[in-house]
Amino acid sequence: MTDGGGDLLRKALTKAIDELDGSARLIVVEVAADGMTTFTLHRDDAGTPRGHHGPVTPWNIAGEQEWEGTADDASGKEAIVRASGIRSHASVILICSFPDGLQASRAMEWLREARPDAPHFTKAHVPVPALLREILADEPLKRSYDLVVLKRDAVSGRLELATQPLFAIGARRGQPVRVRVRCEPGDDRGTAFAVASWQNIQPSLLSVQSAVLSPGRHEFWATLERPGVVRFSGLPALVPDDRRWEDLVASVPATLDPQIGPAHLICAVEVSGSSDLVDERLRRVRQVVTTCAGALPDRLHVSLLAYGTHGFGRGEREEPVEVRVWHVSPKTALDSLSGLELRGARPEGYPYAVQIEDALHEVHGRLGAGTGDRVVLLTVGGRPPHPPRAEARILPCPHRHDWEDLLHRLRRRADLTLGAICDEPEERATPVWRTLGEGARAHLEVVDIRRLCSDLGLVASAAQRIPFPLYDP
Amino acid sequence: MSDEGSGRDHTDIAMWGAPGSGKTTLLAALSIALSRRPQQDWRIVGGDAPSTDFLIQNTLALSGVGEFPEATKDRNRYRWTLLGPPAGKNGRRRGKPAQVTATRININLMDPPGGSFGDSHHLSTADKSELISSLEKSKGIIFLFDPIREFEKGDAFNYLFAPLSQLASQMLASSDKYPDGKLPHHLAICITKFDELRVLQTASELTLLTTDPDDVHQFPRVPQDDAAQLLQELCSISATGNADIMLNTLTHFFHEDRIKYYVTSSIGFYLDPMRKVFDMADPVNLVPHAPLSSPSAAEPMPSRIRGQVHPINVVEPVLWLGQQVLNEHANGSPAG
Repeated sequence: MTDGGGDLLRKALTKAIDELDGSARLIVVEVAADGMTTFTLHRDDAGTPRGHHGPVTPWNIAGEQEWEGTADDASGKEAIVRASGIRSHASVILICSFPDGLQASRAMEWLREARPDAPHFTKAHVPVPALLREILADEPLKRSYDLVVLKRDAVSGRLELATQPLFAIGARRGQPVRVRVRCEPGDDRGTAFAVASWQNIQPSLLSVQSAVLSPGRHEFWATLERPGVVRFSGLPALVPDDRRWEDLVASVPATLDPQIGPAHLICAVEVSGSSDLVDERLRRVRQVVTTCAGALPDRLHVSLLAYGTHGFGRGEREEPVEVRVWHVSPKTALDSLSGLELRGARPEGYPYAVQIEDALHEVHGRLGAGTGDRVVLLTVGGRPPHPPRAEARILPCPHRHDWEDLLHRLRRRADLTLGAICDEPEERATPVWRTLGEGARAHLEVVDIRRLCSDLGLVASAAQRIPFPLYDP
Repeated sequence: MSDEGSGRDHTDIAMWGAPGSGKTTLLAALSIALSRRPQQDWRIVGGDAPSTDFLIQNTLALSGVGEFPEATKDRNRYRWTLLGPPAGKNGRRRGKPAQVTATRININLMDPPGGSFGDSHHLSTADKSELISSLEKSKGIIFLFDPIREFEKGDAFNYLFAPLSQLASQMLASSDKYPDGKLPHHLAICITKFDELRVLQTASELTLLTTDPDDVHQFPRVPQDDAAQLLQELCSISATGNADIMLNTLTHFFHEDRIKYYVTSSIGFYLDPMRKVFDMADPVNLVPHAPLSSPSAAEPMPSRIRGQVHPINVVEPVLWLGQQVLNEHANGSPAG
């Protein structure tokens, strides 16, 4: 090819780079005024085209021969061809950017003779390095790029590495993508934002940058700068993370103790009994709500139900379960709790059971299909529910609500965790309290509130660090 | 049976049973049950002032606030009289129109504090003598068998055997009046506390429950013919295993054809005031009413009655015994 083939050169280079695959190499040799430069291009493990070049090989490497002569200077030719590196299985493209130069022209002839299969181009002053950089940057992605995230299994709480798509195959540079994740406290370096490419089922790490972020939801932009380079904007102070990938992965805990918000905390509290006991129950509810609200700012909704005893005796009025507030802010819930505290305890009433089954019925009915938020049902009390039919000495629920069936239905919800604070210690509590506190339970007198909330997935445990962002659908 | 103005110590029916077997409750319920009878043919009155007061207070307690009568504590002797429709024809006497004379059946309850029959050492010699004398003079005996107490304590035999032996000794050993060697009384064995869930469930499991087609509330009942079977089943789970001896002892001492079994409940089953139909899922008519320190406390707490009182088989044994007394009186033959 001769001068005027600029577009052809670009097309040829683009095509040759595009065809790079596996371990294949492309060698581009620029023959210029002061010497010869060899560019070697390949694809790395992530499929990103990479290129580097050696030093300029000056023409005097061919010796002090007479460049204008026509004598067959075998030694000079051999020196030039060897220095170019074109004697290999790699594809070769030869470019002469200084056609007016005698040495360049002669060297170009030698190189063409050595690789007669190689396309060759002559274009004066073509900036080969810049052209190659431009072609590499403009190349559409050959593999999809994803952000490495963690996904939590709703049932087991297990954490699994997963990816959140950023750029699909064919994406070109400059294309911004909106990203939303949740972050938990990481280690000193914060949360690692790692980009991986995928070929079939094999991921390959592209880049890892870290930032110390506040826990919670984060939204930002990811922009493809060029193949292999993704720039995040909207995240503060991202710095390259040089931790070994294996170490990063190893630092992921097996499970995420808390399914960190958004969450819906439903507190059902027994308000019948002695004043001291009821006050203590309400105090525990206040502690739980306050603790969780601090850990889940703007991500916690609270519901508050007060239940007591059924009115079985002659002339006794049946006080139904009271839904004080439903799906409100923690502050509103705490205000409502204050109202309960002021009102004080209901009479002891029927001694053997309370309206838990009615409270479960209310919760089950109100939860409906779910909002996507995680739900925690915390029952605080001491007595068991009424059965739907008379059994032993416990009278049946007047509404025939079946607590076992209701609990079974609630437990089938993948988004729901059961917790309990029972008046009685574990060994003395009736078996139903073990079910009510399936996710976490505590004894009223000795509650480690932080731990209870952590076990319920409402507060991150102090020791747990999550190195990657969490998937936030 | 006694005529008006006749000896007040005369006993037609004596009640007998272990402490807590429900004797006083049954009597209070008897008043309510008689009032509920559509025939309005019988009523019960006190035989003396204390017995009248007892009847008034406990009937009101049972039907009003739903409290159980207090067990007999201070007084060991009550006398009531059942007043029923006149028996036979009323003619003229010495030119005057014959007065219509109500039928009277005297009921005596003797139960000194501490439980006299089973713990004879708590009983004074005088009381013991009076007790046996009362049984001897009676023509009918209501024996209350509390299956719950038997299940938990198993002491029914204790409260039966001692007085029965003494009664037999007094009536049979020293006289030829009863050549067959059996006591002459008619005996109504009342299996009490049918309203207790365990008793009801046992009857249900034995498929002994029926309902009276005329009963708008459809309360369950155990037919009289099946009551003995329920009793035997309940005796088989006695705490001491002595309940079967008790049954054998009764049939040894009394004529079998003079024994009848009744499954009774003084308070009856719970009736939802809205539905007004018995619900097997919610039959218990008792509700505990005192604070409990722990829900798992072993001791049962005091209870009160939850709904209306609907006595079951309370009138029937009394009237059956009354009828036997009337028959004997009409036949002019002594019991035996």
